[in-house]
Amino acid sequence: MLNTPWYQNGWFILAIILLAVGYVSLVLFLRAKRFIIRQNVLRALVERKTKEIRRKNEELEKNDLIKTRLISIISHDIITPLKFLHLAGRNLVESNEQMTEELKMETLEEIVHTSRELEMLSTNILNWIKYQNENRQLLREDVNLHDMVRQIFSILNGMAKQKNIFLTNEVPADFALHQYAEPLRIILYNLVVNALNFMEKGHITIIAKTLRNGVLIEVKDEGFGMTKEQINNILADQFIVSSANVDGKKGNGLGYLIIKDLLKVVEGHFTIKSTKNIGTTIKLFFPKQ
Amino acid sequence: MQHRILIADDHSMIRKGIKLLLQTHLGIKDVAEVSSGNGVMCELQKKAYTHLILDIILPDCTSLEIVPNIQRLYPDLKIMVFSMLNGTVYGEALKQYNIYYYLEKTSKEEDTVSFLDNFINHYNPAEMATIKGTSANPFMPLSARELEVLHYMLGGYGTKDISTMLNLRMNTVSTLKNRIFEKTETANLKELMQLASLYNVS
Repeated sequence: MLNTPWYQNGWFILAIILLAVGYVSLVLFLRAKRFIIRQNVLRALVERKTKEIRRKNEELEKNDLIKTRLISIISHDIITPLKFLHLAGRNLVESNEQMTEELKMETLEEIVHTSRELEMLSTNILNWIKYQNENRQLLREDVNLHDMVRQIFSILNGMAKQKNIFLTNEVPADFALHQYAEPLRIILYNLVVNALNFMEKGHITIIAKTLRNGVLIEVKDEGFGMTKEQINNILADQFIVSSANVDGKKGNGLGYLIIKDLLKVVEGHFTIKSTKNIGTTIKLFFPKQ
Repeated sequence: MQHRILIADDHSMIRKGIKLLLQTHLGIKDVAEVSSGNGVMCELQKKAYTHLILDIILPDCTSLEIVPNIQRLYPDLKIMVFSMLNGTVYGEALKQYNIYYYLEKTSKEEDTVSFLDNFINHYNPAEMATIKGTSANPFMPLSARELEVLHYMLGGYGTKDISTMLNLRMNTVSTLKNRIFEKTETANLKELMQLASLYNVS
């Protein structure tokens, strides 16, 4: 038996062949796998971008609706009253003698009332526009909630007194929150204004509690209350036109629009509990950071 | 004859403004105010009015909904419509109800006064009927019924809500909606809303 050198051994050649085949298939396999991974990554990317675009689109459409709504608010609730405010004022100056004392007084009261309403509405529109900008730089600060509620109540006290409504601040004196102050103030202000508009007499109370997992603020009124349908309309992401308030005036739907948008900013949630003709309680919840 | 006038508008400032014009320029002192459609019906029942000045959009309904009733119950009452909304659209629609006095709130003060004077002291619907609107407008072909539906569509209400509110069948509302889209040549609610805000229709 001749000893063949080790490299001419049939087994060795077979091993070499197998090794070569194995190497090639391994390379192919790895390449295929890399392709699949790449494909998945790309697919995920496309999906994410699509979702983003869809969300942006929805947002734009919503803003479009709101813009249309704002145009109608500005023409119907700002320009027309301003025109008649001017007309009334000018007539008071120019046709003073032709007017009865009674009408003069009535007109003056109306001017006082309307100008205040116009100021509040314009401020609110401005508030809403300000917080639409996503690139805003906001900082949280330590807020004394008791003082904040006191300030809001002092602005609205005149309006409340006229209607025999009592504003009660039941927030503990040293109750502090780490929050974006301005948005929180606007939310509470709008909630109290809503309550004032939809009640004839009684109390509006603000309460605050620290819970295990966050902070709870309650705004309680003794007004007309809302129907299930009205609450659903508020919670649904559409603009709401409320029913007539106590002065027989239709709401413009701006209040809750602002409240909902700003709650997103301050990362809070809200629930509405209401009984017709007994009152409404709005609960705001801010989870612990 | 003593004029007794009722003003229906949801803005108290506007009611006061008209009241003031009536008193200072036309010397009319017997003027009452209401803020809603329901208020109009109650007040008309309480007292005999000679003239009614009506806004189109009231908090609880549109005037288009109550005008037929008012006319049936008080055939002698003279009605004038005073609104923010586009006169070429609503003025035309109101002619179907034989209301020929339509004034836009954006009118100048002198025009408002002379219009009120005409309406109250020289009431002559036949003459007014001959004045034709001139400017073309995509909403002009709409009937009063279609304008009612349009109002609630623009308010974001669905077919079902509109059918309960106006007491119509769902099918009827859908047909009316389609006809509105067709007549205004819009494809969807968004386009309709944009067109409406452009032409001051709501």
